Amino acid sequence: MKERLEQLQDDSLEALKSAVSLQDLQTVKVQVLGKKGSLTQMMKGMRDLSNEERPVVGSLVNAFKNNFEQVFAERLKQLEEEEIAARLVRETIDVTLPGRRAVAGSLHPVTLVTDEIVDIFSRLGFSVEQGPEIEKDFYNFEALNIPRDHPARDMQDTFYINDDLVLRTHTSPVQIRTMLKQQPPVRIIAPGTVYRRDSDLTHSPMFHQIEGFLVDRQVAFGDLKGVLTHFLNEFFGANLQVRFRPSFFPFTEPSAEVDIACVICGGNGCRVCGGTGWLEILGCGMIDPAVFDAVNYDDRQYSGFAFGMGLERIAMLKYGVNDLRLFFENDIRFLKQFS
Amino acid sequence: MIVTYNWLKEFVDVDTSPEELCRRLTMVGLEVDSLKELGAGMESVIVARLDAVESHPDADRLTLCQVNTGSETVAVVCGATNHKTGDLVALAQPGTVLPGDFKIKKSKIRGQVSHGMLCSEKELGIAEESAGIMILPADLPVGRPVFDVMGWRDYQIEIGLTPNRPDCLSVIGVAREVAALYGQQLKIPAIDLHETAEQIDTHAAVTIEAPRACPRYAARMIRGVRIGPSPDWMVRRLEAVGMRSINNIVDVTNYVMMELGHPLHAFDFRLVADGRIVVKNAQQGECFSTLDGQEHQLTTDDLMICDGRKPVALAGVMGGLNSEVQEDTETILLEAAYFNPVSVRRTSKRHSLHTESSHRFERGADVDMVPVALDRAASLMAMLGGGEVLSGVLDVYPEPLNKKEIVLQLAKLNNMLDLSIDGASVQTYLESIGLDVVSHNAGTGDGHFVVGIPSFRPDLEREIDLIEEVARLHGYDKIPVTMPGGIVDAPLPPLSQRRQKQLRDMMVTAGFSETINYSFVAANAGVKTGLSGDDERCTPIPILNPLSEEQAVMRTSLVPSLLETVTRNLNYRSTDLRLFELRPVFLADEKGQAREPLSLVAVMTGRRDPQGWAQSEAQVDFYDIKGAVENLLTGFGIKNVTFESSRTQPYLHPGKSCALLTDNGSVLGCMGEVHPRTLSVYGIDQPVYLLDLDAELLLQQQGLNQSFQPLSRFPDISRDSALLLDTTVRAAQVFDILKKIKSKNVEEVILFDMYTGAGIPDGKKSLGIRIRYRDMTKTLTEEEVGKAHDRMIGTLCEKLGAEIR
Repeated sequence: MKERLEQLQDDSLEALKSAVSLQDLQTVKVQVLGKKGSLTQMMKGMRDLSNEERPVVGSLVNAFKNNFEQVFAERLKQLEEEEIAARLVRETIDVTLPGRRAVAGSLHPVTLVTDEIVDIFSRLGFSVEQGPEIEKDFYNFEALNIPRDHPARDMQDTFYINDDLVLRTHTSPVQIRTMLKQQPPVRIIAPGTVYRRDSDLTHSPMFHQIEGFLVDRQVAFGDLKGVLTHFLNEFFGANLQVRFRPSFFPFTEPSAEVDIACVICGGNGCRVCGGTGWLEILGCGMIDPAVFDAVNYDDRQYSGFAFGMGLERIAMLKYGVNDLRLFFENDIRFLKQFS
Repeated sequence: MIVTYNWLKEFVDVDTSPEELCRRLTMVGLEVDSLKELGAGMESVIVARLDAVESHPDADRLTLCQVNTGSETVAVVCGATNHKTGDLVALAQPGTVLPGDFKIKKSKIRGQVSHGMLCSEKELGIAEESAGIMILPADLPVGRPVFDVMGWRDYQIEIGLTPNRPDCLSVIGVAREVAALYGQQLKIPAIDLHETAEQIDTHAAVTIEAPRACPRYAARMIRGVRIGPSPDWMVRRLEAVGMRSINNIVDVTNYVMMELGHPLHAFDFRLVADGRIVVKNAQQGECFSTLDGQEHQLTTDDLMICDGRKPVALAGVMGGLNSEVQEDTETILLEAAYFNPVSVRRTSKRHSLHTESSHRFERGADVDMVPVALDRAASLMAMLGGGEVLSGVLDVYPEPLNKKEIVLQLAKLNNMLDLSIDGASVQTYLESIGLDVVSHNAGTGDGHFVVGIPSFRPDLEREIDLIEEVARLHGYDKIPVTMPGGIVDAPLPPLSQRRQKQLRDMMVTAGFSETINYSFVAANAGVKTGLSGDDERCTPIPILNPLSEEQAVMRTSLVPSLLETVTRNLNYRSTDLRLFELRPVFLADEKGQAREPLSLVAVMTGRRDPQGWAQSEAQVDFYDIKGAVENLLTGFGIKNVTFESSRTQPYLHPGKSCALLTDNGSVLGCMGEVHPRTLSVYGIDQPVYLLDLDAELLLQQQGLNQSFQPLSRFPDISRDSALLLDTTVRAAQVFDILKKIKSKNVEEVILFDMYTGAGIPDGKKSLGIRIRYRDMTKTLTEEEVGKAHDRMIGTLCEKLGAEIR
């Protein structure tokens, strides 16, 4: 019996090892240990053994069982791993297929640059103010030191609603409206839509500006330079070259135009900057005493500065847009580029 | 304003390069828009000597010249006849490109190699006509570029002048700035004027009847002129500054205007009735033809130059056709005057006549320049026209204009600029641009100046104007960069601004792209969408001076703009669109005042999902736009909005649209499928779904404060029921009833299916309703849920005649 037992052990373990599936493995287990299994059958013969032989064979049987279970467990683990590995291979997908996306919306590039500029100035303590687009002559011109019959009115071709109402030609009337209702100190930024009666490749009859102004005691021209240089460095990048040069606006004096080193060619001269290496980016100046007069601010106590810039121009430079008309055609192929 | 580099150099000694000069001008406030070299690329046209001129061996009309270039002798074939051995000529060497894109190459002419071309004035682009080749003065150095040694090389400098600087509408004015920049003196050339013994006042007289509009009027007479072409140098100069040559007399008036900045006018004295000039206002309704041939109806506000009987010029704007210089004019009455800026501007605007003259007068001419310009022009006319200048000037200047004086405090200047410029430097700056420092009281660091303002700087009126002058001459780049002090109290943006931004961002999240359309539309935009003529939106605010009919009125609704945008995109075959615009519309209220309420319009059309292998091709429908709205309302915490299909808009499909009403009954807006008629008007052939909201009202809605609801830790049980209902029963009725039953264990009611068709009787529809039950304190039993569900469904059956399928 001992020999038969050993023979059976060898055969069973061999069968376990050669099982190729979990099912095979179970079958082997049933064939050996099941009710009608070969070991079970063999153990029925134990009762015929002598008292001396029985414990010996019994321990052999136990050892066999332990052995079997151990090999079974090993093989089971091995087969399970193989099966998982095979399943993973089977389930492999093409990860380069495009994903299931929702429709992507987008903000208009003018909105994007407005938000960015407002953000920068908010951190300097400026708050946003707005004003009407159909504006009184007084706010748009008179109070800004642009009297009727003055050539300075030619600087801005105007759409008229009637004798007294215009489509505002700049965001500067917000200065007047704010100063009339609020005493210094004021720090205001005012984005908005403006209109000029001019339409060609580089002029749109409607466009956007952002106005900023600050009034307080002892504000000097250097503060204007400081705030705008800070802004331009934040927006276009640190160490950007900036220059201030004299200009004229009726509502500021001294007035300046601000140029930045061309962001396209880095100042070497290209088509965008007309070969000068400089891009005109905004107009500014110290608020003219005549404006303070119009809003009843005392120019002996207070001084201030104001600045304004065209947002389409800023967006064109920031995103490299080469055609102003694209901003108002609302071609989805254009808009989606700002998703 | 255009000046040339050489012309400037007649008034100021400056040896800097044109490029550097332009940079300095820009940095002092005269922004140079362009710098162009005249005669650029002509360096290879050189002075050459003709060592020999022989006949061409194989052509009778040609000569074969041995041309000495200074370094070698080359053969050149020439067709002219006016040259001889020893002449100096202009040789265009091979490689030169002459005006008219005429490329000079080494070539064979009748068997002889020609190394370039001998040029005429016309070929060099310096004269309209010329006979033969140009024979150069004998003393020129051989081998040097002709344009250099002839002094033809020049640079055209175009300055974008700001309206405050009329003084720089002249060469002398720009030269004054250049002199200040380089510490030079302005050179004022002496005027070489010879007068005859005969006095002008024996022939002519001047009267000013409107001294406010015309403070000064002066005239001279030049007799015996012959009208003809101007000399080349003058033609070239005028052309270089953008003017066209007319004849020697008219050219002189233009030349002096460009040089000294003062507009002049030349009358044919024959045509000045009674030899009298009277400056007075026109008669109402009078007709007058200016010399451009235009006829004008005058008003009593128009200042006219008249003769003894009639108007002869629109003062300061343009001369009259009836008195202009003719081919046979012999006697010139030359006008130099000073007109009131506002008067000229009004007349110029009224008659839409903007001229070089009106441009200068309305910005402020220099009253003291009147006699100078007159003398300069008279001497030039005598020289170029071969005439003689009568003795004396008719100069009527009854009340000399006040000289201005301005007090400048040094301390104020330095405070505003954050600088510490000393008094002596300030005085130097002021005097460098021709201002007159009358006195300088140097106190202890805060002295003040009394500054006399010359008549050529009408823009300088206040202390701040002088501060600006010093600042720009000192250089803005020398002003330190500082940051403003003071405590900043920057509040959060107001709620309305934050909510507007939130609204915009929610639209983007829902897949919509923001558009910006023009605020002006065609007058019929409202009617075109289908609105009736008496709708408030069909009475837009018109623009008085629109650019076109398409942009004639302010839009009362964003709908037309968005539909046009859809059309434009469809034309580009972009068929899947979600667009929105969040901007004001313009409405006139009862009192005629404009209101600018914020509006939100969104459109969607085409596929619901982006195209892809894993996405459906399904098209959007009403429920997509409704879902977007519902998300918006949830986002703003607005509940209890009802969707009312009986109140919609004419541009929406009446069966697929509704109004949005708040719980107090105000209309938030409307949405739905765009009416097929409207779509066809816009040429759109696919369904478009549109949302039109009163964003102003939306942003004002008091959203409910979000508050936490406790969560149950116990399991849920769901029950599904399929109900058969009349098709006329609306989903809102089902939800309303279920809501009213208020079973505390109902966690959620979902309408998961809606079906009509096979298996459902006509006039009926099947709704699949799932109710999810859960209790806060215990696990619900099947029995409890069954009971609650039976009550819910039972009520529906009872109230809506529903049957359980």
